[in-house]
Amino acid sequence: MDDIVVVENLHKTYGKDIIAVDGISFTVKKGEIFGFLGPNGAGKSTTIKILTTLLEKSSGKATIDGLDIDADQEKVRRIIGYSSQEVGVDDDLTARENLMLQCSFHHIPKEKAKAKVNELLQTVRLAEAADRRLKTFSGGMRKRLDLASSLVSDPKILFLDEPTTGLDPQSRQDVWEYIGKLNRQGMTIFLTTQYMEEADRLSNRLCIVDQGKIVAEGTPAELKARVGADKITLRFKPDDLAGCEKAKEILSKLPGMEAVGQCGDSSVSVNGLEIMTKNGSALVTQVVRALDGANVDVEQLNLSVPTLDEVFLKLTGKTLNVVERKEAVGIRGRRRRRD
Amino acid sequence: MEMLSEVIAIFNRWNKKLLRQPILIFFNLIQPLVWFLLFTQAFSAIGNIPTFQLLTGTSSYITFFTAAVIIQTIASSALNAGIGLVNDFDSGFMDKMRVAPINKSSILFGRLFSNALTTVIQVAIILVIGLALGVNIASGIIGVLIIFLLAALFGIAWSGISLFVALNTKNAETTLSVGLLTTFPLLFLSASVMPIGLLPSWVQQVAQVNPFTYIAEAFQSLIINGFVWQKIEYALIAILIVGVLSLGTSILLFRRKIS
Repeated sequence: MDDIVVVENLHKTYGKDIIAVDGISFTVKKGEIFGFLGPNGAGKSTTIKILTTLLEKSSGKATIDGLDIDADQEKVRRIIGYSSQEVGVDDDLTARENLMLQCSFHHIPKEKAKAKVNELLQTVRLAEAADRRLKTFSGGMRKRLDLASSLVSDPKILFLDEPTTGLDPQSRQDVWEYIGKLNRQGMTIFLTTQYMEEADRLSNRLCIVDQGKIVAEGTPAELKARVGADKITLRFKPDDLAGCEKAKEILSKLPGMEAVGQCGDSSVSVNGLEIMTKNGSALVTQVVRALDGANVDVEQLNLSVPTLDEVFLKLTGKTLNVVERKEAVGIRGRRRRRD
Repeated sequence: MEMLSEVIAIFNRWNKKLLRQPILIFFNLIQPLVWFLLFTQAFSAIGNIPTFQLLTGTSSYITFFTAAVIIQTIASSALNAGIGLVNDFDSGFMDKMRVAPINKSSILFGRLFSNALTTVIQVAIILVIGLALGVNIASGIIGVLIIFLLAALFGIAWSGISLFVALNTKNAETTLSVGLLTTFPLLFLSASVMPIGLLPSWVQQVAQVNPFTYIAEAFQSLIINGFVWQKIEYALIAILIVGVLSLGTSILLFRRKIS
């Protein structure tokens, strides 16, 4: 695949000693969603502002679709869409007027603009609210309009700066869905986020950034593989120590298990067992079948997979957000009684 | 051509915004009205001073003072130009315009022209009130049109100062206070409130280099005497100097800050 964004050794310093971006290099491939994950102050917004020509870099080189962001600034502006964290829409205007205004900024002829605006209003589900002023809009509606307004010119690449920060869960889902849809239609998307869930769910590839530097790069799965395996946790009745020992013996012989822990040392129970494995979801059924066959009574079974938050913790020694280890599968009260 | 359509789009945007906040238009007119009604009542006796009549050609202080009210209106309207810009920076709308492939100056000119239109409407309202209060405009309809033209041009030039402060501080309060702090002293240190011959000598010296003096004298002559072309020329020169300095620096600053 072709690279649409190529960034080499980008630096941005404010004043004399505030280093916002400290020599980053990466590439974004055509058609992918590329994520920039990091905490506040990591240099995400600075990077996106440099790439969208809003901010001058201190040094380094960056091209978008082969165009230099400094030398070909005007041309770059014609092929990018940008949606900022602040949601750049005019509250005194209606949704339709906002989009028409953006069309005029891109010199789209009026008749064509009208059709385009109608189409976009449909896509972001604002057709009914089109002629209302934004004062009455919810945060989610304003964000959807903002996304639509960055698309009037059919950009080759869309830059989204923290697209769901400050949105309620439902609006966040809507925005995610819309971003996914755009990408499936072929749009390349560069997004920054401080939510690992967002980066994990949306991006094909991502960079983890901290203090102006890229600390890791890869697909979400690759990054998660770095912090280790999936974990299956079994819980037994408190007095059923024999059951736990039996399970341990059976599961140790099962293929694909990386490490079977000791009875009693589970984090979920006084009488539990933890198993580490490469591919937890595929093995869950085998575990259940093996234990069922041996007449072992399991009270609870949990499968958890590593999160990008753990990746971040491992790489930087800090947490990104306080998020629990993700519970991918939780089978509760799966007791089997034998006659 | 592209730039023209950009300026028109931004000009229309600001006009729409203003029309949707009628309360703002109303409050912009309150201050000149208060001035008109209170100031001229309190100081009406000035018209009885023989030197005043000799210097101005009228015995009606309210007729003389109409020019001051117009200038004050232009200056306070010009303040809004910078504040609108600060709001755009804060809301993120400025970034939206800056990533679009438009000429940076269009952003400023759209705003300035919309402001000039508002100013002309306000000046028209002031003149109507003036007529109702017995002010007679010696130069007639043509004179009124020249007043509108000078008001629009001076409004654009003076807005440059507000833009300059706004671009430097990106703060609405600072922009407002700098505007107010410059308007009032300049108004009183000019020939707007009192004919220059009646001012103390140090104030006369300040007034000689104060652009408000030349704008005021042009308005005064159009209202009191008819067409004194030299006064209008001086006003245009003053506008040109202010405009080149204030708009020139603002545009340079705006282009540099964002490219």
